[in-house]
Amino acid sequence: MQQLKTLIGNSAYEEAWSRLLELGAATTDGPTFLSLARLRQKLLKRAPRPGTRRRVKVALLGGATTDLLEVPLLLALDIMELDACVHRTDYNTFAQEMLDASSGTVAFAPDVAVVVNTSANLPAWPEVGDSRERVEQLAEKVADYWLKLCARLHENARCEIVLNNFHLLPTRPLGNLAAKTPWDPNSFIRRLNLALGDRAPAFVHLNDIDALSSMYGVRQWFDSRYWFHARQPVSFNCLVPYVLNTAHIVRALFGASAKCLVLDLDNTLWGGIVGDDGPEGIRIGEGDPVGEAYKGFQEYVRRLNERGILLAVCSKNDEVSALAPFTSRPEMVLKRENFVAFKANWDAKPDNLVRIAAELNIGLDSLVFVDDNPAERAHVRQRLPDVKVIDLSEDPADYPVLLDDSGLFEITALSAEDQNRTLQYSENAERLRSMESAGEYSDYLATLEQVGVIRPFDEPHLDRITQLVNKSNQFNLTTVRLSRSELATMMSDANRLTAYVRLADRFGDNGLISVLAARHDGTELWIDLWLMSCRVLKRGVEQLLCNHVFEWALEHDVRRVHGSYLPTAKNRLVEKHYRALGFDMVDQGEDQGTRWSLAVASFRPFKVTIALKEDY
Amino acid sequence: MTVQPSDIWTRLTALFQDVLDDPDLAITPVTTAKDVPGWDSLTHIQLLVAIEGEFNIRFNTAEVAALANVGEMVVLIAERTAQKS
Repeated sequence: MQQLKTLIGNSAYEEAWSRLLELGAATTDGPTFLSLARLRQKLLKRAPRPGTRRRVKVALLGGATTDLLEVPLLLALDIMELDACVHRTDYNTFAQEMLDASSGTVAFAPDVAVVVNTSANLPAWPEVGDSRERVEQLAEKVADYWLKLCARLHENARCEIVLNNFHLLPTRPLGNLAAKTPWDPNSFIRRLNLALGDRAPAFVHLNDIDALSSMYGVRQWFDSRYWFHARQPVSFNCLVPYVLNTAHIVRALFGASAKCLVLDLDNTLWGGIVGDDGPEGIRIGEGDPVGEAYKGFQEYVRRLNERGILLAVCSKNDEVSALAPFTSRPEMVLKRENFVAFKANWDAKPDNLVRIAAELNIGLDSLVFVDDNPAERAHVRQRLPDVKVIDLSEDPADYPVLLDDSGLFEITALSAEDQNRTLQYSENAERLRSMESAGEYSDYLATLEQVGVIRPFDEPHLDRITQLVNKSNQFNLTTVRLSRSELATMMSDANRLTAYVRLADRFGDNGLISVLAARHDGTELWIDLWLMSCRVLKRGVEQLLCNHVFEWALEHDVRRVHGSYLPTAKNRLVEKHYRALGFDMVDQGEDQGTRWSLAVASFRPFKVTIALKEDY
Repeated sequence: MTVQPSDIWTRLTALFQDVLDDPDLAITPVTTAKDVPGWDSLTHIQLLVAIEGEFNIRFNTAEVAALANVGEMVVLIAERTAQKS
């Protein structure tokens, strides 16, 4: 910390920023984090943080006191690589800020509103002797009280909302009988939390204070002295987890997310070194505490895989040795087919990571690297600063907790695509293999028996659409990031054409893989959103969607369709997209962006090998 | 080992300087919140939390509200740290 102060004193601002963020990411102690957060404010006055990041406007609404949360939350959001500005409102004004369409919060136009509510803000509690039915009804009523406030704010400001659920109270006047007594306050809180979880709409994201406070212990989480003194909602011991947990949700909404977990093998997925100990000598499974710890870690990793995180192996081993335990040790929880990439060789790990990212067609910033060897971690950090590296401890029992606390896998909605992701990648590998054995590419496409569905945005697919809009980097013409709420607004906008494409072939369902939106202005149609998953490049989806746009244009008396391309570091791929579709370049901006147009009368529909259906 | 008052003084001064963000801040036994810019009810909590952490002691609810000047803090810190040894 002293070093940091010296750097600031010497005006070495760029170095100061990296040191500050490094220290912040490594600090779990509340008062230290607060000091760093204050230093950040000081540094910010001297020099902004170098580099560009996604800008996010965060409204902070108080049930409890939020004064001491604002500055650490800003540091946490910075650590999440978000350029945030916070608008904080006065103590206990959350209700009017949410209900009043002319409130300061609404005027601020936040991207997300973080509500700091506690059980002290509950409008009602059960009476002594209330029946279970009455308590359940009351729990639903109170849940709806909160959700109605959120719905009003969402109507007024169209923002995402982060709402706390409630931690248990730290004392039990009924003792253990409380567990069998529905009207007991803690029994009520449990029912209330469940009701909130069941009834929360897509734009309300629950900050799971209940779970988080349980991890630390309610008595550690909540400090009654500072509550009595200043309505401080969380103790300083737990300030950092509270603020980081909130920031993880904001990152999941607006920042980069992890797509693939890359794992080492020796002493990471099992105990010991398979090259030396042989597959029978490594420690995995029951009967041995260390083996059980590694098994526990594999189970945690499998859970991540089940919900859509891809798995890859990156191990310094020869491939035969590395693969052996997967077949010869039944205690292995993870199987070879859980991994979409398996790099076991003697090359440098950073090189392998680059290959993995290329094969899976994802950015390096979507990779999370886990390795018990600090030297390997340092090597990756140094060569590939975009890859997220998790520091493991010496004890495999800690590994699941360390991955959990990183918040890198935080996600605000799960789609069918997420659950099938590994399957889709292996189906894709099969497609590639069949392509290699086919002759002409067009023959190959015909053999795929592709079926496509094009529909306007709809509620059931909005989560997946939001995900694609925010995570696509390569096949993305304008790289405009939009929240689920903003996309929902587009969906109901009468002056808009919206479309998504689902694609299946004889190997399987690719899911929803392309999104387009255009603004209709009299005789002109302006395409402002066009993106596609790279997995389905050159299969005809681009032409299919283009045909659809011009068909719609013809039906709606549009004379000219316009498109634009905004170059970024990652989307050079689509520089010639509009040219390939027959558009003419209208102009080229200073930013190297290009604008295109094509008269509806001049458009000739493309022949595509995708059969358009109502559904499949 | 009893913590000596002068040792408390040095550590407390450093703490005040950090929380109140003033590397030149000097405190005396009669310094109160009125005398120091930036010492409001919230920095007061931050100061107390920092003192608790630094000296490994715990203030009770009454003390959290009532500690009015630095001198009182030093006395309390000395008492609490003496109790532990």
